[in-house]
Amino acid sequence: MLEQLGLLVVPLVAWDNLFSDLPGHTVDGLTRGAIYALVALGYTLVYGVMRLINFAHSEVFMVGTWAVLGIYTVIGAAEGDALWFVIVATLVALIGAMLASAGTALAVERIAYRPLRKKNAPPLIFLITAIGCSLVLLEIFGQVLHAFFGEPFGRKTISIPSLVQTEQLIGPRGSLLTTDAVTITNLQLIIFLGAVGMMLALDMFVNRSRLGRGVRAVAQDPDTAALMGVNQDRVFMLVFILGGAMAGVAALLYTMQFDITKFNIGFLIGIKAFTAAVLGGIGNLRGALLGGLLLGIVEVYSSTLFDSSWADVTAFILLILVLMIRPTGILGESLGKARA
Amino acid sequence: MRRNKVVGLGAVAASLALILSACGSADTDDKADGGGDECSGKIGAMGALSGPNASIVIPSVNGAELALKQFLAENEDCDISLEKFDSEGDATKATPLASQIADDPEFLGVIGGAFSGETRATKGIFNEAGVTMISQSATATDLTTEDPAAVFHRVVGYDDVQGAAVAKYLSDAIGATKVFVIDNSEAYGEPLADKVKEELGDLVADSDKTQVEQTEFSATISKIESAGADAIFYAGYIAEAAPLIKQIRDAGIDVPVVFPDGVYGADFPIAAGAAGEGAIVTCPCVPIEEGDTFYADYEAEFGEAPGAYAAEGFDAMTIFLEAIKSGATDRGAVEEFVDSYEGEGLTKTLAFDEKGDVAVENVVIWAYKVQGDALVPDQEISLD
Repeated sequence: MLEQLGLLVVPLVAWDNLFSDLPGHTVDGLTRGAIYALVALGYTLVYGVMRLINFAHSEVFMVGTWAVLGIYTVIGAAEGDALWFVIVATLVALIGAMLASAGTALAVERIAYRPLRKKNAPPLIFLITAIGCSLVLLEIFGQVLHAFFGEPFGRKTISIPSLVQTEQLIGPRGSLLTTDAVTITNLQLIIFLGAVGMMLALDMFVNRSRLGRGVRAVAQDPDTAALMGVNQDRVFMLVFILGGAMAGVAALLYTMQFDITKFNIGFLIGIKAFTAAVLGGIGNLRGALLGGLLLGIVEVYSSTLFDSSWADVTAFILLILVLMIRPTGILGESLGKARA
Repeated sequence: MRRNKVVGLGAVAASLALILSACGSADTDDKADGGGDECSGKIGAMGALSGPNASIVIPSVNGAELALKQFLAENEDCDISLEKFDSEGDATKATPLASQIADDPEFLGVIGGAFSGETRATKGIFNEAGVTMISQSATATDLTTEDPAAVFHRVVGYDDVQGAAVAKYLSDAIGATKVFVIDNSEAYGEPLADKVKEELGDLVADSDKTQVEQTEFSATISKIESAGADAIFYAGYIAEAAPLIKQIRDAGIDVPVVFPDGVYGADFPIAAGAAGEGAIVTCPCVPIEEGDTFYADYEAEFGEAPGAYAAEGFDAMTIFLEAIKSGATDRGAVEEFVDSYEGEGLTKTLAFDEKGDVAVENVVIWAYKVQGDALVPDQEISLD
């Protein structure tokens, strides 16, 4: 009884919570959303071109986080290293994570999806294969590698050295600007700018380059594109590599902020990113960005209004509401049609 | 056609069963010749033996194994085995394991469940089958009060006591006046946090609920900041506690953070890294001194210092071993023995009240402090 009463009273109190620090919550939401958006690109690219939900994409992200850990371990990076070394280590980790994630995505396409495509398998078979791939990758890190190499592989949460120390750039203890209005840390800035920058680069690549034109062509009309001399298999490989690389960037940014990984770290983020992709309009690159940022903001706002366990409820209610009004997502689902 | 197949399969299964049971009886005959017929049986141990929270459970099962080993060394004609069941701490995975134990009549008892959620989900199954449970570490208060199961016992204090101790530690030892209370919205964390809030009363500045598997706590942290908290309590397990404390420290919040026994595992300091330093973990488990025989025996056997609930696991197993030694050969007799058991365990005086709990005055709650990679006993939290 008290619980129910509490629920009724909470919103009255908590509006205050939200509006007392709206800019701060918005920054938190944008940071959270930027990572969702980067991962969402992988879902959206593959869906836009192949009409396939690649559920293994969450594990592509997970492999990226392990690559970061592996690289830090190999080059001996640790907390408190000199700045030049931190920058070098982070760049190496970025490239490593992108390669590892893109490689995983490519392997999934070559080993799992291509043979099915050659046999003209129906869409449902692809879907269940995607889920299967996801579980296989999950258990490779959760069980197989653990059996061969022991720790750190396995089912535990593993700490990743936090090379870049969190520091307030803007805020009460800000090093650039001292203000009570909003707090922005160096990591939040790196994550947001890094994610948005990568997305703009990808958007330019797809819309401006020759290879990108091939991607759009296959997305619009695979048969005609093939007749015009576009190699469909290559385009498929390209979208897996691109999506994987974006997940690798997301993995580095994520580990920079949270300093952890574990075998199933991709699961929740994968679901959120997929939601973000659908919210923005799956198959639409800018939709993924919009959907990701919006989802991040809504989650943080609702966590503040109610409590953190309400974040998912609110996010999915938003998704349903949006889909009721715009069944194809906010920006509609098209990779190439908008600007063919 | 189909029916024939089923009949065929049935016949194969039946003949297999015959062969197997023949083997089984041959085995017992052998043992009977050895004179160990009376003293035999299987005990199950169910809990998270893998996963991020396994370090809370594995030492206790090791403790039980040690008890068995020492017992068998003294009672050579006994044929008792301890079988481990890995539930990963997940109630949905524990349920089929519980049925498996319940369906095998050789199992006379079970140590566990190690966590409260899985215990709540399985105590009905064990109760129906009459399998005595002695939990070494399931502390949720309502396990013995709500929907009680006659077969459930625990050698550990419960969360009402722990919650009161946590509140006392926060207000007295730390001197906090604005405590931020967080729980993980599940069977263990929620009631524990509620108890702490109730005990703290006006000292609670604000609270938040998070989720299992959550790794991103920015919303919780901004609430902590706006509440101006001078101490934080999180009721949950290691998997979420480690990223939480990292993010708290990253945000520049350096107030004391207190965790309950769900975080009392060797993996916590490792997973939390530098951020974990100085964090307080309470536990209704007594510290084992380096000079103890148990400490030395455990270290000799497993090559490491006894971890979470090792002595409690030892105590739980000892009760079962004494039951079987006393001549209890079926589940009913074991249950009767355990119900009326009275003895001096490693951790406390062991005797169960009608709910299956040990007497409150025998329960001790300790605060441990994270120092480097270890949880070092800090002080006993006296409730008087």
